[in-house]
Amino acid sequence: MMDEKMIEEIIREVLKEMKGSGVAVKENPVEKGARNFNPKSDYPIGEKRKDLIKTSTGKSLDDITLEQVMKGSIGADDFRITAETLLLQAQVAEAAGRTQLAGNLRRAAELTKVPDERILEIYTALRPYRSSKQELLDIAEELDKKYNASVCAALVREAADVYEKRKRLKGME
Amino acid sequence: MKSKRFQTLAERPVNKDGFVAEWPEVGLIAIGSPNDPKPSIKIQNGKIVEMDGKLREDFDMIERFIADYAIDIEAAEKAMAMDSVEIARMLVDINIPREKVLEISKGLTPAKIVDVIDKMNILEIMMAMQKMRARKRPGNQCHVTNVRDNPVLIAADAAEGALRGFDEEETTVGITRYAPFNALALLIGAQTGRGGVLTQCALEEAFELTIGMRGLTSYAETISVYGTEQVFVDGDDTPWSKAFLASAYASRGLKMRFTSGTGSEVQMGYAEGKSMLYLEAKCVLITKAAGVQGLQNGSISCIGVPGAVPSGIRVVAGENLITMMLDLEVASGNDQTFSHSDIRRTARLMPQLLAGTDLIFSGYSAVPNYDNMFAGSNFDIEDVDDYLAVQRDLMVDGGLRPVTEEEVVAVRNKAAKALQAVFKKLGLPPITDEEVEAATLANGSRDMPARDVNEDLKAATEMMQRRITGLDVVRALAESGYTDVAQNVLNMLKQRIAGDYLHTSAVLDKAFKIDSAVNNPNDYKGPGTGYRLSPERWQEIKDIPQALKPESFNTEEGA
Repeated sequence: MMDEKMIEEIIREVLKEMKGSGVAVKENPVEKGARNFNPKSDYPIGEKRKDLIKTSTGKSLDDITLEQVMKGSIGADDFRITAETLLLQAQVAEAAGRTQLAGNLRRAAELTKVPDERILEIYTALRPYRSSKQELLDIAEELDKKYNASVCAALVREAADVYEKRKRLKGME
Repeated sequence: MKSKRFQTLAERPVNKDGFVAEWPEVGLIAIGSPNDPKPSIKIQNGKIVEMDGKLREDFDMIERFIADYAIDIEAAEKAMAMDSVEIARMLVDINIPREKVLEISKGLTPAKIVDVIDKMNILEIMMAMQKMRARKRPGNQCHVTNVRDNPVLIAADAAEGALRGFDEEETTVGITRYAPFNALALLIGAQTGRGGVLTQCALEEAFELTIGMRGLTSYAETISVYGTEQVFVDGDDTPWSKAFLASAYASRGLKMRFTSGTGSEVQMGYAEGKSMLYLEAKCVLITKAAGVQGLQNGSISCIGVPGAVPSGIRVVAGENLITMMLDLEVASGNDQTFSHSDIRRTARLMPQLLAGTDLIFSGYSAVPNYDNMFAGSNFDIEDVDDYLAVQRDLMVDGGLRPVTEEEVVAVRNKAAKALQAVFKKLGLPPITDEEVEAATLANGSRDMPARDVNEDLKAATEMMQRRITGLDVVRALAESGYTDVAQNVLNMLKQRIAGDYLHTSAVLDKAFKIDSAVNNPNDYKGPGTGYRLSPERWQEIKDIPQALKPESFNTEEGA
């Protein structure tokens, strides 16, 4: 009889193989790191499941104290939410029946990897009459390939299509 | 022929207000325009192929966004087949809990939602609001601004606002370049008055996100959406750009809500002959579709438009209700000077105050009307004792608490001094002791000495270039001995790591504990259920300083 650990090992091996062969399979950080998470009873996560929250530099919530700030050991990056945390929050939203909010939090999880400046540029590019269809498709490609942000990429691709139909691309005003 | 009676009436404040007859062709009609579509839905292969009488190939971008993302197609066929009166009755029926209503309302089209609201009178709308509000406890938000963008005064007013009980504080600018100072002063003032108050600075979308990313604000609200494609595009956005922006905020752990309101499309000239509520229903659905947790609506800066037409104020309450029916947080307006008549502006407030909303005002002006840079509010600081008396008279929680002059003066002084210290540490233009003293005792910016505006603007621009962040503010406060305020600002920054306050209707109490629709959902089912004043809260509301007490009679001779 195989126990859970063994199954996990096998899955990990398979995943490794697949990665090696270039097939894009993403590890789900939530399922990996937060196995006993109950999205209904573990909210607020920052109170009830502090163990699941890490800053983008790997610190815990309790590590962020005024004392540590004054010592200079806390930086601005310590206040960035991680993709893992946002995916947990998406589960909370879903468990509360809020499908669309969960979707937004999942897109947000993808965007944690995109730098501030680039986010602002992409937002501007999505405004009406700012971009050609190709420019939007290039952004989608970048989101997909560079940041592994496939849901956001799909949103941008759809925008390219809608803007074309509704004449909201660059030069159409 | 001149009647003295009519002369007297003509001079009454109400007759300085504007009123217009309904004019559906241009959209000057609150609800039920002859041009509003009839509710309908057709679903094929998991896609909506017809909505409110329009075929999918004719959808504009707004309709496509709503059809694909807002409406729950599993719920739609059953919900759309129901009689609108029956749905309206479910909304009012105390025996049907909120969750049961949501199962129906999530499947409705814009035209159907409006048809449901049109079956309800104002009292029924209020009963439904009491049940459908997402979070159990009602709350309140204020504006903190002044015509001169004086940062010391903003800090003092923010501290006082926090002490008075507001859950959220919003600022904006007279001069755009002052924005970084306004955000900084609001943050420090609010966290001096009461730890956990959320703060925002209303500005152009991209800048608002930037200062949020830097930790100078904790949420955003003025992310506008509109009910016709042309107005949406004139507002320089699309549903897709706004949906991306919503995710951008969440990706940095920042709370946000959208903003819309009846009358905006008429005001911008493209209402397509539709009623205000029909267009607003689309805005609420766009918000839902984008996955945003909440919406500021209730006409907002366009209140003069629904306020001028028949049934307009009923419809404004109706748009708040639609937001709640779609399971979104609502910051329910009451936030712009609405009428010259004190009677009308009080009546305009009643639906939100008596039913209770997540944020009854969005916001209440915590400064004099002349200093309010959102064009005044429906209630200003001059009205605060009236407001406290109304809470007490009707035994209703409007989110505020009585305060004493001593505690207000003390907290204003502390906030002004804390800002003075932070300005010094960060190398910003000095704040003099005279300014601190003036802000401590001021009613408004007319009581403040002038600052060197050019120096301020230069430094504010540099502050952005130097990338001053919330963390720099924490350090500056702590190094100057304001450890408690530093700790509060740090706690605000920490909220974004766990992201618990990204959920629907989330606010923080003074211990930084989350109070949201997830851990404190509205469970109203008639008398004895839902939100009730706790004995402590009622004691607080009752205890206005002006009230004579038996003790004062015993000690005073002849009393």
